[in-house]
Amino acid sequence: MNSLFLGLLGVIGTLIAYMGALYIYQKYPYPILLPVFVATVAIAITLILFHIPYDAYMQGGKWIDWLLGPAVVALAYPLYNQWEMVKKYPFPLLAGVGIGSLLGITTGLLLAKWLHFDHQVIYSLIPKNSTTPVAMEITESLGGIAPMATVFVMIAGIGGAITGPAILKRLGITHFLAIGIGVGSASHAIGTSKVMEYGVLAGAVSTVAMSLSAVVISILSPILTNILM
Amino acid sequence: MGNIHAVAKILLQVGILSIFYVIGTKIQQFFHLIIPGSIIGMLLLFMVLLTTKFKTKWVDEGAKLLIKHLPLLFIPVTVGIINYLSIFNGKGILLIPIAFISTLIVIVGSGGISQYLARKRVNDHE
Repeated sequence: MNSLFLGLLGVIGTLIAYMGALYIYQKYPYPILLPVFVATVAIAITLILFHIPYDAYMQGGKWIDWLLGPAVVALAYPLYNQWEMVKKYPFPLLAGVGIGSLLGITTGLLLAKWLHFDHQVIYSLIPKNSTTPVAMEITESLGGIAPMATVFVMIAGIGGAITGPAILKRLGITHFLAIGIGVGSASHAIGTSKVMEYGVLAGAVSTVAMSLSAVVISILSPILTNILM
Repeated sequence: MGNIHAVAKILLQVGILSIFYVIGTKIQQFFHLIIPGSIIGMLLLFMVLLTTKFKTKWVDEGAKLLIKHLPLLFIPVTVGIINYLSIFNGKGILLIPIAFISTLIVIVGSGGISQYLARKRVNDHE
């Protein structure tokens, strides 16, 4: 099989898996049935069943993967749209995102180091609270394993989206800014879609927090890794 | 014909976003920066939107599409976990609670400080 055909097969297979997973999630919107999770498992099982090497699948997968770059660039659009709000609440936003990013990197790194995990594993854990494409790039530049990083990003996303709002409520943290900043800077896009249920304003705050924390985490990760490792 | 026009517009806008991405990557390589090229591209687009006559309607449809289907774009890399499943054997299973607990600390820490500052701001005005 030539690589062009193989590539097309990979792209079409991924699209079918994604659309199927979207359909399932629309019918049964449980966090555990998140489209990216279901589609990933479906493709992984297909590859294992038919003895298709991952590299062969990535002939096409890398075309989809490349678009992550422009997708991160696209986050400038919601950030620009919400700029008036950012100017209205600069201190809660910057302090919340800054402290959140700092806590996420240091606690993940120190807990994993304390349990003597390999450096490669720790580097993959460090950027887990940023959105997937950013986490992948940070992990690769630190020397970690990108697919592992995406698993941690999903744990941060799904775990935070399910439990975050309830825990904040129990602690008396109910301000829309606090919910948006807390869940957005910890659980990125998955958390943001959950926060949308608390109102358009909290959702917008969460989107901004996610975009800002992508920038802050990418700057802090290499610096803190240097200091703490 | 309307559909073809809409598709062409989105493709063109994704193309514009891609140019920002490529420029961001080049800047990162040239100056050996630690920030990912995509983030540099994002900051660049943001600055251009804020300071020049560059209009959001030149990128809005493409940006909305890419953000809406972000999960599709990271499926290929996530599938790569099949080559690393052994990491979660034995002690490795602890990585899941570590990631989860660390995330809860972020939510409470950043939510707490945001609420404190948001309320403080209101009180200062009174």
